[in-house]
Order: sequence, then structure tokens, then C-alpha cells
Amino acid sequence: MGRSYFVDEAVGEYLSGLQAAPGSCVTGLLAGQSSPQRDFVVLAVQTPHRESEGQLKALKGVSPLDDIDVEWVTEHAKQVSRMLPGGLCVLGLFLVTPPELSKDAQNALKRLIFAVEKYIIKGRLWELSEEDVTDRVTLHICSKTKKLLCKTFDVKDPKSSAKPADWKYQTGISSSWPMLTCSVEVDLQIPVTGSSSDNTDKCMKDGLRRWAKQIEAAYCLINGRQALDDSELISGQAHVCSFQKKNPKTTNRQTLPARIFVSDEQSELGERSSALVQVCSGSMRVRGVVHCRAYIHNNKPKARHAAQAIKRDIINTVCSRVEMFLEDLCINEGSQKGLCSGQQALPRRVFAPMPISGLSVCDYMFPDESTADVAERLKEMLDCETPEEDIDTSLENNQLFSIISGFEITDSQDDDSSKHVSEIQAENHKIQKPPKYYAVGSGRYSSFMCGPCSSHCSPCHSHISTVFQLMEKAKMFV
Amino acid sequence: TVCDFIFRLKGILEFACQLDNPNGVQSQSTISKSFQDLRSKVTSKNIVFTVCNSPVLIWPNTGFQSSVESLTEASACGDILQWIESDDGGSKKSSKKKDKKKSGPTVVNMKLLFEVTEPAGNTAPSLIRVSTQQHCVKMPLPLDCALSVTTDERLETVCTGLVEALNKQLADMEEVVLQYRKGSSFLVPQPFHFQLPEPAGLITVVYPAGVPDSQLQAVREDLHRKFELPCDRPYLRRANAFHFPDAAYKDGYLRNPHIHLNPPNIEDAKLYLVQGVYSYHHYMQDHVDDNGWGCAYRSLQTICSWFQQQGYVETAVPTHTQIQQALVDVGDKEPRFVGSRQWIGSIEVQAVLNQLLGVTSKIMFVSQGSELATKGRELANHFQTEGTPVMIGGGVLAHTILGVVWSENTGQIRFLILDPHYTGGEDLQTITDKGWCGWKGPEFWDQNAYYNLCLPQRPKSI
Repeated sequence: MGRSYFVDEAVGEYLSGLQAAPGSCVTGLLAGQSSPQRDFVVLAVQTPHRESEGQLKALKGVSPLDDIDVEWVTEHAKQVSRMLPGGLCVLGLFLVTPPELSKDAQNALKRLIFAVEKYIIKGRLWELSEEDVTDRVTLHICSKTKKLLCKTFDVKDPKSSAKPADWKYQTGISSSWPMLTCSVEVDLQIPVTGSSSDNTDKCMKDGLRRWAKQIEAAYCLINGRQALDDSELISGQAHVCSFQKKNPKTTNRQTLPARIFVSDEQSELGERSSALVQVCSGSMRVRGVVHCRAYIHNNKPKARHAAQAIKRDIINTVCSRVEMFLEDLCINEGSQKGLCSGQQALPRRVFAPMPISGLSVCDYMFPDESTADVAERLKEMLDCETPEEDIDTSLENNQLFSIISGFEITDSQDDDSSKHVSEIQAENHKIQKPPKYYAVGSGRYSSFMCGPCSSHCSPCHSHISTVFQLMEKAKMFV
Repeated sequence: TVCDFIFRLKGILEFACQLDNPNGVQSQSTISKSFQDLRSKVTSKNIVFTVCNSPVLIWPNTGFQSSVESLTEASACGDILQWIESDDGGSKKSSKKKDKKKSGPTVVNMKLLFEVTEPAGNTAPSLIRVSTQQHCVKMPLPLDCALSVTTDERLETVCTGLVEALNKQLADMEEVVLQYRKGSSFLVPQPFHFQLPEPAGLITVVYPAGVPDSQLQAVREDLHRKFELPCDRPYLRRANAFHFPDAAYKDGYLRNPHIHLNPPNIEDAKLYLVQGVYSYHHYMQDHVDDNGWGCAYRSLQTICSWFQQQGYVETAVPTHTQIQQALVDVGDKEPRFVGSRQWIGSIEVQAVLNQLLGVTSKIMFVSQGSELATKGRELANHFQTEGTPVMIGGGVLAHTILGVVWSENTGQIRFLILDPHYTGGEDLQTITDKGWCGWKGPEFWDQNAYYNLCLPQRPKSI
């Protein structure tokens, strides 16, 4: 009476095509969607090679199973999770071993699956509900016989033992799955108490968590109908979105627009008779529009599961890009983090077709990156070649215009340049018109504020090249 | 004009602002700016009203759009009822059976929401960091607007009216916040609705949380002048707030069970009833087994509940123990009275009302029960001027008189009695069917016993 995994045929082809060096193992992820009755697997990706792998081979007498870099497998799982839109998640792992290691494979898989789950949920802003399936699949493949052994573990229970499960191949599992979409305006004002970088992180997490609860509790319309109760998600008229126009082979797929309505009700502020006042060392604001997607299987899905999927995507996408930004900051700024002011672009979301299934995956592009960087990451993390023209960067607009307006060179001797910045930013936020430039004083760049970091130095070293590019474009040079 | 509907819109809007210096001159304009932003928010295209227990969503600021096709600009507001699911089917039976009088306007509850999808722009998020020392102020504003309308009023007009009401309420809240602010200490502005005599009708006043009614006397005086209200009785204390017909009372006591009764049809007689709201207190409530000895205490509790709900006092209805302690405190009883099951009478009721509530009462003495039939004029006058419930004790029983039907010409009289000897639960059906609250004739009284009546007097205050 175990679970049934319905797996896309193309996943089977991928798995049989995997090459393992003789005597060694191959690990990888399985991704898809779980529903109470059955599970669907639409993607398999082997763990990418790590540079240090060469060193591991030098250790003799150690079983390849023990050699598995658990940290790397979990890191890969986390990266892939970030690339999956709503409704999809890492469902389990596969492990290819030579016949002599098959006996011990189950233990290795169990260790890995719990480690992966633990790492993926770290930092997640929403909790699993009662109805969420907590079984994860482990697939063992013998490299010689190609025999498959499929089992599940309940990751909620560390003492759980493996249960048998069915692994069935089918074609076009997800070809008719509806896609929910929406663009969500985010404007979070987060106070920062204390001054260390740890404080900044914690304040950001708390602020995001409060917002996430608002989203989880929000009212949701899917395709014009409320998504509250146990009613089935009845797909209405199909809307052809720009992505489908680019990829005609996905025309079977319906796009269902979602609309989200929040209220400011927060139980913690509930019955207060006075305001909550905190002395802050500063504040952070996350402001902009995120584009969200979620898929829902088409085996009589309930409307509220669809609502849950798109809401989780909304929460994940904001959380992921903030996390990525802060990780990046940590590497670059080190201990200086949290102390300087300014506006910086968070990585923006781009979409690409998923290998195999025709669903889409996403990635996050930093302002100084290009689609070539995205393609490289997709190759490494998802083991697939994606032509750069298939990467859709149009769904979220570049923040550069609104930031570059910070490069305003004003006529006035006014010291209060930050006021001008915010005015122009407010103007440009909605209209994508090129900013105006004014010459000042004797030199062209005399009164210059560096937009991205607002330091009062003529373009600071980090940003000088961007400034010159834009000025060239705006024909500022005579 | 009788209003058929009350549209009530509730929602929480978070007020937030950053103050560099809470005591500085700039702070007031920063606070006002935040309120201005909130007013913009409620006039924006993003606000949505949802009708509770229904699939109806209305966008009031986009030329009226609704999520239900048949509800359009031209729809009458009554049309909305067909979309609302009632809470349970059970209550319908009892209302059909009882010959009930109309219970008042239908309340349509709505909730305020904001759409975060369908944004105007598409620019990906940025992170803006500011590192100046600031006081960060956050406060939930409990918005609550109510509009009384007739059934043929257009739904669109109702929604526009509610948006205007939200705007006005935010302006009122700003005023209250600024008036009662001390540096970085802000009091939450809370709206209260009051049903005033026509033409004022249903109004809303914003009071600062935590400031007791006693300190808001001047505010009430202003409002009494503005609405031309009598200056000798309270209309605008928090306790006087309008009780919406569909709301249950959290404490579980029944309110005014007598309104479900039809007064006796006596030729040439007039009806004189208790004014305002009281709670029905009786044997066995509050886990106190006072069966057989507590009837006067319960009548006293009913009277105390009247003074509390008309806004004269803020103290809770006293327990048996507190009543007994009050009598010890005034020297009327020995300390061992507390915790006993001793009866009390009208004189004790008068003493406790004075001690705990500061209320004076008149005592009426009747040497035989048969004489009560001749006290029509006194009782009628009492209900007309004071309108308070009357405690009557005599023989071995105490009761509460809530009104009389009396003919000046024929002298015929009936008494509306609330009986504290009831031991069951708060079941309105039983209480009215079995006469625990009911109209009685003069034969109800023990014709030979003597009776004392305690007639509490309204304090002259607002």
C-alpha cells in the first residue's frame, strides 16, 4: 500500500543515459509534485561534478558510498529548489551504484534524503500543512542490471523505515498541467534594531516572516473564482501568455491568472492600546514587483491547493532573492554589511524551459550578469543546454533605470540630494523613460552621487564602469 | 425613515512611521504624512471590499466592479443578500414559531482588503537601506465604518459612501492620535458607533484607547451640543455603543428578553417600559448555586447591569460575595455575612447600589400585595422618567419589574416581570414560553404579604 510515482518517460531516458565510472556512484535529484493520492516526477538531475572530486579518488579503501559529498548533494538540492516554480519541489533522490554496493545503498539513500530535506527547509518562511505529503522517494539503480528499487521515507519521522513504492513511466505527465501566474507588488518596510550584521539578518527574516504570514492568510482568486474550499479547480478560458508564444510546443497548457488580496491583520499587534515603538539603528525596504508562477497537476486538483502553490511561490521568490543578495553581500562586503546606506537591485527573476517536461524553471540574475551567465548556471545545476534566446528576461523589468536616476547631476547647490533621488525614483518607478541629466558647475561630473551605494564620491570604484556605459548611451560625451 | 440595512466595513490598516526625533517639531508633519499615505491607499484602485460569508468581492474605486456578474452599478443593495450564506439553519425554526416582532435592520458585514497583484509597474525589487537612528512606530488602526441605508439604495452608492467614511475615519483618527500623543507614546484610536435619535442616526466617534470615559467628559459635552442631545443622560459613553443586531454578546447573558413578548391588549391602557439595555441574571449562573436564597441578589445584578450598559458605571456586575462585602463595608451587616446564604431585601439593594455604583434609589412600601394594583401611576412615572428596572421584595420572593401596562381611566394594570428564580440555561425560547420573563396580572402578588420596592434613580450626567 505504498505511494505511486508517475514518472515522465523522458526522466527514464535520462536515468538510463547516465554514465558512472566503473566502481563509482552517481547521485542526483528527482523533482516534481506530490498530491495526497499520487506523486509525479518530471525532472531528474545528476549532482554536478565538484572541482575537489579528483582528490577524493586518492583515498583508497574507502567505499564510494561513504565518499558521497553529502554537503554538495544538499547544496545542489537547495540550488535546484530555488529554480523550481510553485507547486514543484525536490521529491527525492536517485543513486546509481555498481552491483557490489547495492546492499548498502539503502542506508546511504536514507542518510542523504534526510540531510537534503533538512537543508532545503532551512530559512523557508512557510510551514508544511497537515495535508502536505512528507514522503520522499529514493530510487536505487544498479549500474549493471539497470534494475530499479523505489522506496519512500517519511521525512517528518527520523526513525521511519523505508516503505515500498511504485515507479511507473508515462509520457507527457505534465503536458496539460495548468500554470498559475501573477505579478505581486511588494513594499516591505523593515526596522533594523542593533548594529551587527547578524541583527540585520534577523530583522530581515522577522520582517519577511510577518509578510509571509500575510500572504499565506490572503484571499485568493484563481481565474476569477475564489479559491477557498474543497471545490475543484475548474480551468476556464485559456490565456495565451508571451512565454507560450515563444514556445509553441506548450500550447496545451492553460494559464490561470491569480489575484491575491491581503489585510493588515496581524495577531501580534491585535489587541494593543498603544503603538509599538522600537528604537532602530536604521531600516530596510524591499520594494518592487515579483513575477510568480506555479503549476498544479491535473488529476482533479482542489482550488485551495492551487492557491497554496502560487502563494508559496510568491513567498519563496522574495525570500530567495533576498537570501542570495545577503549571501553575495557577505562575500563582498564582509563585516561592513548592514552599516551603509543606499539602494541596490536585488537579483531579478528570469524563466527558461525545463528540460524534459516543457514546464518552466527560473533563475535569478544579478544586475551585472547576462543571459549567458544564466545559461551557464542552468547547465551546471540542471544538466541541460538552454539557448540564450529561450531565457525570458521580460517578466521582471531591470531596476537599472530607477537606480541610475540616482546619478542625477543637478543645477542646484542643494545639499539635500537624497531628496531629489527619491523624487525621481518615484517618477521612474512606474514609467520607463530615460532619466534627465543636467550639467553642473565647471565639470560634467562634479556633484555626483553614486546611485547604488549613495556614497558622495564621484562614481565609486564598484560602479564606475556602469556609469560610463550609461552616460555613453545617453550621449553625455561631446 | 426606517433603515433596512446597515453595511458595516471593518479592517485593520497598519500605521507606520519613522521619527528621527519624537519630540521635535518635524514629528507632527511626519505623522500627518503617514496618515495622508493611508488615505491615498483607501482611495486607490487596490482596495477591495469582501462581503463576509459570500463570494462577493467589490472594487469600489474602479467605477464599481464586482466578482459576481449580476451585481452591477445599478444593483440595489438588497440584491446582495442572495449571495450571503447564513451561519446555521437551526435558528430559523424558533423564529418562525415565535410571534416575534421585527428585530431591526439587517447587517451586511464587509471586510477591507488590498490587492497586491495587477501592479502598475513591473520593476523587479530593490533593497533600500537607511542607517540613521530612528524611532520606528507601528500601530494597527481598527477601522470600522457603518452606513444605514434603505433597501432600494444602489450598491454603488453604498460603496462610495463607505470609501468616504474610511477617509473621514482616518482623518478623525489622525486628530485623536496627534491630540493624545506624548513624544513617542501613541494611543490607538478606536471607533465606536452610536445610534442617536433622528436626524443624527448612526454616527461614529473615535476615542483614544486606554483613556477612561471619565476623562473624556469635555469631548462628550462638545458632541452633545453638536448633535443637540439632552445633557442629563449619557449617549456617547463607550458602554452606550450601538450593539449590532447580528452580534452575540461575549458574556453569554441574554439582553432584554422582554422585547420578544407582545404586551397585553388592555383597552385604553398605555405601555411604560424600562429604557435601554439590561442583562438577565438568575439562579445558578456563574457557577453559583444560589437556588432558594439568591433571588434578590440576582435582581440587584440585573439592575447593576443596566447601569453598566447605559454607561453610568464602568465597574462589572458584582458577585454575591462582592454584594455581601459591600453591605459589611457600609456597616449594615456583620463580617460573617460574607459567604453566607442570607437573604437580602430592597433596603439592602438600595444600600449596595449606593455603595458600589453611587446610585440613589427611592423605596416604595406597600402594606399588602393587593395594593400593588393601585400603584400604576407611580410605576408609570418611574418608567417614564427614570426607566430603570425595579426590584420588588416581599413574602419570601424577590422579582424585577420591567414595565407596566396601565390605564389611567380604568385602573387596569399588568406587570412585566423578570423572574430571577429560573434555574435553566440562557434559552430565550424557554424563558419567554414558560413566563420567566412575562406579563402578569395583579393576582401574581401574594395578596396579604407586604412588599418593598427599590426604584433606582438615574444620575444626571453624560
